[in-house]
Amino acid sequence: MILKVNNLRKEVTSGDSSLIILDDVSFSLEEGQSLAITGPSGSGKSTLLGLLAGLDSASSGTIFLDNILIHDQNEEERASIRKEKVGFVFQSFELLPSLTALENVMLPSELKSEADPKSNAEYFLERVGLKDRQHHYPNQLSGGEQQRVAIARAFACSSKILFADEPTGNLDSKNGKLISDLLFEVNSETDNALVVVTHDHDLAKKCDKTISLKLGKIVE
Amino acid sequence: MLLGLSIKLFIREIRSGYLTSMLVSLTLAITIVSGISLFTDRLEQALSTQTEEFLGGNLKFESNKNKLQPLLKDLDIKDSQFMEMALFASVIFSDKEMQLSSVKAVDNSYPLIGSLELENSEGVYLIKSSPKPGTVWMDERLQNLLKVNYGDEVYIGDTSFIFTDTINYEPDRASGNFSFAPKTIMNMSDLESTQIIQPGSRVEYNYLFTGPENEILYIRNFLKDIKESGDEIEMLDEDSSSLGRAVDRSENFFLLGGLIAVLLSACTISIASQRFTRRHISYVAILKTLGMKTLHIRALYFLIFFYTTILTLIFGLFFGWLLQNNFINIMSTYFPTELPSPGLYPLVVTCLTAFICQFGFIYPHILKLLSISPMRVLKDDIGLNQGSISVISAGLLAFFVLLYLYTNQITLSLIIFLGVIGFSFVGIGSIYLLLGSKSLGLGASSPFNLALSELRRRKLGNSFQIFAFTVAIGLSLITFSASKNLLGSWQNSIPEDSPNNFAINITKEDKGQMELFLKENNIKATTFFPVANASISKIEVDEEIQIDRNFNITWIYNLPEQNQVLEGEWFSDENENGISVSDEISERYNLSVGDLVYLKVEDRDIKTFVQSIRTINWDNFSPNFFVIGHPSLFKDIPSTFITSFYIPKEKQENAAELMREFRTISVFSIEELIKQVKEIIDQVTKALNSILLLTCLSAIFLALSALQDGFSVRRHQSAILRTLGASNSLIKNSALIEFALLGLISGILGALMSYSGVYFIETEVFQTTANFYPELFVLGPFIGLVVVSGLCFYLINGIVKKSPKELFT
Repeated sequence: MILKVNNLRKEVTSGDSSLIILDDVSFSLEEGQSLAITGPSGSGKSTLLGLLAGLDSASSGTIFLDNILIHDQNEEERASIRKEKVGFVFQSFELLPSLTALENVMLPSELKSEADPKSNAEYFLERVGLKDRQHHYPNQLSGGEQQRVAIARAFACSSKILFADEPTGNLDSKNGKLISDLLFEVNSETDNALVVVTHDHDLAKKCDKTISLKLGKIVE
Repeated sequence: MLLGLSIKLFIREIRSGYLTSMLVSLTLAITIVSGISLFTDRLEQALSTQTEEFLGGNLKFESNKNKLQPLLKDLDIKDSQFMEMALFASVIFSDKEMQLSSVKAVDNSYPLIGSLELENSEGVYLIKSSPKPGTVWMDERLQNLLKVNYGDEVYIGDTSFIFTDTINYEPDRASGNFSFAPKTIMNMSDLESTQIIQPGSRVEYNYLFTGPENEILYIRNFLKDIKESGDEIEMLDEDSSSLGRAVDRSENFFLLGGLIAVLLSACTISIASQRFTRRHISYVAILKTLGMKTLHIRALYFLIFFYTTILTLIFGLFFGWLLQNNFINIMSTYFPTELPSPGLYPLVVTCLTAFICQFGFIYPHILKLLSISPMRVLKDDIGLNQGSISVISAGLLAFFVLLYLYTNQITLSLIIFLGVIGFSFVGIGSIYLLLGSKSLGLGASSPFNLALSELRRRKLGNSFQIFAFTVAIGLSLITFSASKNLLGSWQNSIPEDSPNNFAINITKEDKGQMELFLKENNIKATTFFPVANASISKIEVDEEIQIDRNFNITWIYNLPEQNQVLEGEWFSDENENGISVSDEISERYNLSVGDLVYLKVEDRDIKTFVQSIRTINWDNFSPNFFVIGHPSLFKDIPSTFITSFYIPKEKQENAAELMREFRTISVFSIEELIKQVKEIIDQVTKALNSILLLTCLSAIFLALSALQDGFSVRRHQSAILRTLGASNSLIKNSALIEFALLGLISGILGALMSYSGVYFIETEVFQTTANFYPELFVLGPFIGLVVVSGLCFYLINGIVKKSPKELFT
């Protein structure tokens, strides 16, 4: 099992008042499976994704990622898990503007001190169809192209699980379809697990499992 | 609506903390400017009063003839007052002793300005009148030499007088060539009965005037018309006393410190404005989309920055007042009485500084902001080109105007301006070359590689950061050096054993004996300079132009210490030799090297030429001469000699012994003057330390603003890197290495900048010899390394403590 979540709760306090963002969330995901997290805005989807990926810590409950209890880990240990096991695709791409497409994709390999980050990055850029634009900076690429670079970067991590937060949210329907097809296509080649937060029903339908959130709770 | 919105926005900006660096920098600049200008304004007013007292009036006419009295009735003056005094040297007798004294016979209007401090058996008191007929006042030295008590009789010429009071302080100390000998003051009405003034006697008549400026100018013109050769007119603004120069120089130090702090603040304000503009791009785009006119948006932002200026002016002026109070407390021993109230000038300078900063460093960014397209609402990638020519030009223009405002000299402002621009170009160019070209990838495998890659990748941004750090370090080091080294070299120019006594009227016969006396008492004297009174006429093609003053001229073979030949050559055996004149005299009387002149000395005419022009260090407390001739020109000319020597406090009785042994020699002490100048230097040092503290604060704010500016980009990068699994230590260590290197480079450049600045100030502003200060090259890199790394540590800690998710929001 790549992901197991039990009774997850996230609560934020502001002054005297507190707000429950996630409450009693439990589910699991096997290796190679895909999961769609859907729900209306403000239902806690992105917060849940952040907790699953170890970007943030929960108020209570447990998360096992590849059998590691990440809830007990400190930020440094969580960073190490992210480096080894997790890949990311964001709604707003989150590419480094001072790096070219190739350099952005090389980044995960560089962080792992891999021997030849360049050829690995070139392979994935070719895979997403951007080999000829590898020396372009993000501001020289369209939104769809930037998201393809982000997908290439996510797969270049050689991760066990890939988290995608609204990967088609900032794109038109044509580019959105292209990106969702690409995401599943490349994922099937790598046998990664995939967790996607989305509003897009077509994208959600492609996933093996779907959970729906409403006011921080899973609804059937 | 605009008013309400602008106030709401202003309060929101203050609460958000984004305006903090701008508010603090502007307040700091205004504090420093108002503090310094308030203090120097009051200092100048006090000095002017002191100078008036020193001169004895607003205007003084000196003549060897008593000719003005009958002409005064032709003067149409209503609100001015005048007085007359006669000065001469005479031997005064008591029942036990006799002594040469400088005698001042004053009329009943004496003193025109200030009061005398006298002492008698009843104690010390202030008086604003002349001695009663039949009485005299004497200074303590003369009283001791004559061994007289209050009520004793003394004799001047044919008349006896009662000695009633000791003179502790007299206002018109600048009066007369005879004032160096121990002093006596008598009433003018007694002068005739003494029978001292005979045809051919050496007497100097002084006429002092005080009154409104227009009448003083009218009197001056009147006196110019009747002025003959040998007569002199002196005005208040011509004070060249050691104290005047000391105060002038201390004002230069203050203004230098102020200028530096203001420039640092200006840089911070500029960076803060850029950040403000960046944050408001979307806001302006939304306002435009909602249909707000550009004129209204402009008014909105103008109001916000108007509030900023008013708020900082209120706080700055308040703190400035406290600062100048601090300066006055520090220098209270120099100004025992209360200083005059400040004029309007400090307020004008302060407000001008605030508005120049606003219009030069803030407003151009706002204008740029107003040009943003409403399309920005739809397309995030529409941004602003913040470094446009108009913004840079406005900043540079404001920088130049500030320089001119503080230096009041167009050439000096231009030199500093072009120097800073040139240095920046060279500096930024060298940084570009030094960092080299970037390699592929971010180098995220190790902290060092990541740091190096970041340095190369952000070359332009880093260059400007280095520039800001360099300016902060360089200018702080200049202020530090000014308070330590420049003041130190000024202090060293008055060493402990500076001559504190002058001896004049030394005859040829007494010279050998006196040298022996000094040798026996282990007193080291400077050269014995021969002195004679001379008048000079410049020979033009077909006329002789008489220079309207007399000079005490000397003749020696060697160039005196601390004199420097500017033009021409000093005397040598190979050439025909003439005279050497000081640069001031050359300028005032239009004398150039090679000009033919007639010297009239003791009824002899000597035809010669100007061989060289010299600068003189007037602060060396040795005899200095405007005109020096080659000895071959003055053979057989009768002269007396002048010298100076140092007598330690414990050997003061040697001075009295010397005067007793050589009755015709006048010895006068300048111990008090040296003490006063040294006190001023000490006090200036303390006051400058307060400015140094504020300058360092401004520098730290500049460095922090420059860093914060760069850290907003770093925050985003850090969020991505940490999401991808980068450890905190990688991010922290790479940032520390990167900024340590930036700090080190800035420190080295800052040291170079401060060294060039100090060199320029020493040679051009204070006209002293430039020194090498190795500590600048140690302190610069050290401060750069520690301060920049320290600030980076503080900022990066704020980033790594947050979770990646928090950083994305």
